[in-house]
Amino acid sequence: MSGLALKGPYWVTVRQHRRALWTAGAVVLLSLVCVGGLSLWDSRVVGTDQDDGHMLLRWGMDLFSLGVIYLPLLVGAFVAGPMVARELESGTYKLALTQSVTPGRWLASKLVTAGAVTVATTLALMAVYALGLTRVAGDYQFTWDERGTYEATGTVLVAYGLLAVAVGALVGQLVRRTVVAMAATGVVIGVVLLVLSVLRWDFLAVRTITGPVGPSLLVPDAGMYVDSGLIRTTGQRLPGWYCPEPLDENGVCRPDVDIAAQYVDYHPASHFWPTQFIETGIVLALAALALLAAFRVLSRRHPS
Amino acid sequence: MSETAIEALGLAKRYGRGRGWALRDCSFALPAGRVCALVGPNGAGKSTLLALAAGLLRPTQGVVRGPARTDLAYVAQDKPLHPQLTVADTLTMGRELNPGRWDGEIAARIVETLDPGARVRRLSGGQRTRVALALALGKRPELLLLDEPMADLDPLARHELMGALMADTAERGTTVVVSSHILTELEGACDHLLLLDGGRIRLDGAIDDLLAAHTLVTGPVEDLAPHTVVESRTTGRQLTALVRNEGGPVEGPWQTTSPSLEELLLAHLRASKTADRTPEGASA
Repeated sequence: MSGLALKGPYWVTVRQHRRALWTAGAVVLLSLVCVGGLSLWDSRVVGTDQDDGHMLLRWGMDLFSLGVIYLPLLVGAFVAGPMVARELESGTYKLALTQSVTPGRWLASKLVTAGAVTVATTLALMAVYALGLTRVAGDYQFTWDERGTYEATGTVLVAYGLLAVAVGALVGQLVRRTVVAMAATGVVIGVVLLVLSVLRWDFLAVRTITGPVGPSLLVPDAGMYVDSGLIRTTGQRLPGWYCPEPLDENGVCRPDVDIAAQYVDYHPASHFWPTQFIETGIVLALAALALLAAFRVLSRRHPS
Repeated sequence: MSETAIEALGLAKRYGRGRGWALRDCSFALPAGRVCALVGPNGAGKSTLLALAAGLLRPTQGVVRGPARTDLAYVAQDKPLHPQLTVADTLTMGRELNPGRWDGEIAARIVETLDPGARVRRLSGGQRTRVALALALGKRPELLLLDEPMADLDPLARHELMGALMADTAERGTTVVVSSHILTELEGACDHLLLLDGGRIRLDGAIDDLLAAHTLVTGPVEDLAPHTVVESRTTGRQLTALVRNEGGPVEGPWQTTSPSLEELLLAHLRASKTADRTPEGASA
């Protein structure tokens, strides 16, 4: 199929990993069939979120959210293991590096192919995710800030895919053992994902609303809850459960405790894109560093 | 003399600190168009030397000067090939990775006994050797580096493939370096010799010159001075020695003959073993 227009090392890369390419296509198709089918079933019962179709769609989209987060790990493991480390482990690099192409072109053809397929697959999966999300958007666990939903509806997922390709190229060369390189790359990408999923909510300053002590304040405008509590007359923030001993005779807080107001910190939905772009920038910068390191390792070992 | 195909100067390789030298102080120059036998026992450093010549390893010391990557072909000892590709795919890979110089006809001729649709994974060792050689010859290299190429072949296939290889390289004037630890495998096909042992070069030269420069001496046990003795053995009253023809013809009560290639190699290998056991720096 796609073998016609490809030339040189690109032809070799695609030929070597045809099965993986078919698998990527099949996964996209399967996700489309599942999400499309469940959406259709859900749309037959109108006006309720409690029918079986909706429940099943929610369950399916929940799995999809999880799968989307694991996608970069899979990409990284594949590039590190079968694409790079296996060549070094099995000795086939001796074959590739004594042909007429330079080592740099040899690695570049692998990474460009992997990168292109990763971007295409990621975008296709994001489109399918968006399709399913139209029916569950805003539901519990499918708000804009949820893990999975956040990644699959912005730009960060593509960036993580590219980071995975670059880290895979570096780790695959350093570790030179297929299985170990796969595991190590998965761990590295997983750690980056985990760390940034915590840090991303510190990129932008939270907004705060305050109000009189009483029923808990609600986060406005589909915002993301960050923190809440009480405020002293001095302005000092206290946890929401703050209540100094001794309690009054009914076992509740004494009315004379020095509390002036309560507050809620939150991210408004308008923080979505700025947060996405900052995170995408950080991930792409990390990817560029890993890529640079990968080519330096290559040229130190195999001068062209 | 014709131009040099490959040249090494003080070449040395050590795989990591604390490990021994795989190759030490190697200097040689191989004239273009020669077919060079790289001979030595297992672990002598033959594979290391070939991988350095192919540019796959970086020397620890010294330099090796040879043709660019585009002009050399290398077949590693384990014949690495992509197992998931078919024979036809593998040859297409050769064409794609060597644009402008690939000769599909030569390559196809070497693998004509194989099913083009067969996956490399399913091939026998000998069949893989064929595919690897086809890939190397199809590149039409100036320098062909072959690391124990015939080890997986039965005698008939070995004879046939070696014949095809030599005919093709002779026609083009390709320089060939072919390693083996079996001395007789290469006799007759090669005109140049590099003998490696313990990571050092023990003999280097055109085979005819090397043979002409030595004399095999047999006869009574007597001092052979002023001749340079490479190696000598005595069995009872009989002396057998290989001497260098430096001090003129050997005269005395001995019988002199020209040594065979095998006698020459064995004498030098035994001599290098003895030399290694008594290093110069040993305490008195």
